[in-house]
Amino acid sequence: MDILLQSIVNGILAGCIYALFAMGLTLIYGVLNFVNFAHGELIMWGAYFLYLFVSEPFSLPLVVAVAPAILCTIGLGIVMDFAVFRPLRKADRLTLLIAAMGLSFLLRNAAQFFWGAEVRTYGLEIARGYPFFGVSLTAQQILIIAATVVCVFGVYLLFFRTSLGKSMRAVSDNLDLARVVGINARLSIRAAWIVSAALAGVGGILLALDTNLHPEMGVINLIKAFAATLIGGVGNIWGALMGGLLIGLAENLSVLVISPGYKDAVAFAIMVGILLTRPYLITGRRED
Amino acid sequence: MLEVRGVIKSFGGIRAVADVSLNLQGLAVAGLIGPNGSGKTTLFNLISGLLRPDAGQILFDGVRIDGRLPHEMARLGLIRTFQLSRVFPGMTALDNLLLAPRGQDGESLRSLAWRRTSIRRQEARNRQRAEETLEILGIARLRDEFAGNLSYGQQKLLELGRAFMAEPKRILLDEPAAGINPSMIRTMMDTIVRMKEAGTRFFIIEHNMDVVVELCERIFVLDHGEKIAEGAPAEIQRDPKVIEAYLGG
Amino acid sequence: MDLFLHLCIVIAIYSIFAMSLNLEVGYTGLFNFGHVAFLGVGAYTSALLSLAGVPFALALAAALAAAGLTGFLLSIPALRLQGDYFGIATLGFGEILRLVFQNEVWLTKGPMGLPGIPKPEFFSVRFESLPEYLGLASVAALLTYLILGAVTESPFGRALRAVRDDETAAEILGKNAFAFKTRSFVLGSVFAGLAGVLWAHYTSFISPSDFTLNETILVLLIVVLGGKGTRPGPVAGAVALIFLQESLRFLRLPPEWTRYLGPMQQMAFGALLVVLMVFRPGGLIREKGGK
Repeated sequence: MDILLQSIVNGILAGCIYALFAMGLTLIYGVLNFVNFAHGELIMWGAYFLYLFVSEPFSLPLVVAVAPAILCTIGLGIVMDFAVFRPLRKADRLTLLIAAMGLSFLLRNAAQFFWGAEVRTYGLEIARGYPFFGVSLTAQQILIIAATVVCVFGVYLLFFRTSLGKSMRAVSDNLDLARVVGINARLSIRAAWIVSAALAGVGGILLALDTNLHPEMGVINLIKAFAATLIGGVGNIWGALMGGLLIGLAENLSVLVISPGYKDAVAFAIMVGILLTRPYLITGRRED
Repeated sequence: MLEVRGVIKSFGGIRAVADVSLNLQGLAVAGLIGPNGSGKTTLFNLISGLLRPDAGQILFDGVRIDGRLPHEMARLGLIRTFQLSRVFPGMTALDNLLLAPRGQDGESLRSLAWRRTSIRRQEARNRQRAEETLEILGIARLRDEFAGNLSYGQQKLLELGRAFMAEPKRILLDEPAAGINPSMIRTMMDTIVRMKEAGTRFFIIEHNMDVVVELCERIFVLDHGEKIAEGAPAEIQRDPKVIEAYLGG
Repeated sequence: MDLFLHLCIVIAIYSIFAMSLNLEVGYTGLFNFGHVAFLGVGAYTSALLSLAGVPFALALAAALAAAGLTGFLLSIPALRLQGDYFGIATLGFGEILRLVFQNEVWLTKGPMGLPGIPKPEFFSVRFESLPEYLGLASVAALLTYLILGAVTESPFGRALRAVRDDETAAEILGKNAFAFKTRSFVLGSVFAGLAGVLWAHYTSFISPSDFTLNETILVLLIVVLGGKGTRPGPVAGAVALIFLQESLRFLRLPPEWTRYLGPMQQMAFGALLVVLMVFRPGGLIREKGGK
């Protein structure tokens, strides 16, 4: 029973992080109608930016370094859009996706260039756990939940309490129509990148805090993020939140029955399951 | 022989096609008219397999075809064209035509391995027929031109020729005269007549009444998804319901 | 001279891998981002069988069959998906297969890899030396070129391009798009398996880390650089890529920098891919009538 409870807790914790990933990914999909295949690298660079600021020559304390790290991640997201995706707004799908793949490759190797391929951590000591309703939570884990709640609340405020948010939702619904009505699509798109990158950055940092950093960490998380967006319906930000939590739970509960080596495959299996059972969302075969 | 029985299709509460029945038995050229939004193209989509009816049946040569996949329709001899011409822009006019013949062995990997000579012969035969078709269409000089470079009228003509190349029993022509100039319309109509004389049958959606009246033996009229009239061109032109549908709201 | 022969062998193997992907991406319009999986299946199947003493000809046949079968099994669910979704599904599949190679230690020896893969032996000729292996690889590449070329120039290839350009219009003309895509995908998988076999027996050692997303991206680069949807494109791309790779080696870098060479080179390739897509998506050899 204890193990089950602990698994559920672990699942929720992982789910929070995946939810942040998925929300960022689905936001871009909603506004620009494509899967950002380089989203995993935004996550990864978010984690590495923090590493950068806590190491020489900055040597900032962790808490202080978070702000510049997130800002840099946002900057990276904006640069990505400006340099690669904006010129390709009108290009065909394949060109866009291959460009995103190339970008992700570039970013992965850039990280390897600067920090090498070894696994790194932020160098925190093993934290002690605080007891919480029968399970033990470390400070880091409490932070994960807290950060996620803050981010989700922030997204809620943005989307449903600001006019910018309303514009973003309109653009997400129907870009052409939104433009016709006079909504500044450019601003909404830029805002979407800022939020997406920020969420990726926070998620990446939390993931690295919980586990570790290495240049390939983005790849598998892209797949998990995408699986989560599918669960909730593409473009649906609350769906992504729910999807992320579900994937986190599924992963951590599944290791009770399957080999831990295949934990990462759980999200993929879920994704395949969804894609196969909801084909009308995907194939568009019948309705022309 | 194409027959539609009680076909219904709704999109989110709106009935695009509402209990439509029609029978094209014995008709070489039949017409389908109606104001915009009356469900004509939807009906074509249903017949050609791009949509599945919510209710009703569609029969072709006595065989039920509703709900079948589009490529099966072609195999049965039913080919459709589109309102906005859908030629393959990146292929030459000739290649566009060469795509059409049904039952090409060269499209089977197994045959490619073992029956190369028979495939070569088929290709040669198809090529010849394609060149003849281009002659009939009057665009033989455009044989090696990329379809994307053709004028819109030429593209529509090419699409008609492509349908013809498939040796279909019946062609569903979606607004062949839309968006092209009068002399091209004349060419289009002459071509349709020549194809009719060669044995091909047609079911034509058209807004241009001159075209409809001249070509069609029998006309079916849709309005708001329902069939409101059918008959010979002269009758239809006088039918008060039809007149009201076009003039009224 | 040895270096030159080595490079030629690498070009030959990459050409085969690229031609197989070109069939799927260039001629059929399938966004296969997990193509490395079939490279791996071919490599591991042939390696394991050869290490168990199976004669090369049989091991090769089994590897090709395995790769084709894997492609077929994946295609059943995956080809129901369009565009982005197919891309992500195949990407995921590639990653999952790598996990399988890594985790099934009883079969694949996991991360430790399979050393000592024997050189191929055909009709009692051992293809051991560099020139001999180059001969083998070249013949394989030539056969691939001829076979895939014949397929793409045939009515099958014509129908394939029609399905790629406008699936609905192709269907209306009687082309079963799903069947065409499946056949193209399986054929592509088989030839990717061939490349994998040649790779495994050349390097004599394979491990799961040889079959990552990075290989897929490299072969994508080759295909688009050379010109997708053309016959000579993949070969031209392979030559160009190896040329670029080697010329980077000639940059006179101070010795402390050599550990940066790898990532720098890969960064250059990533950047090249992006730049290509933005400025010249048609690649070196443009497709006739392409956009």
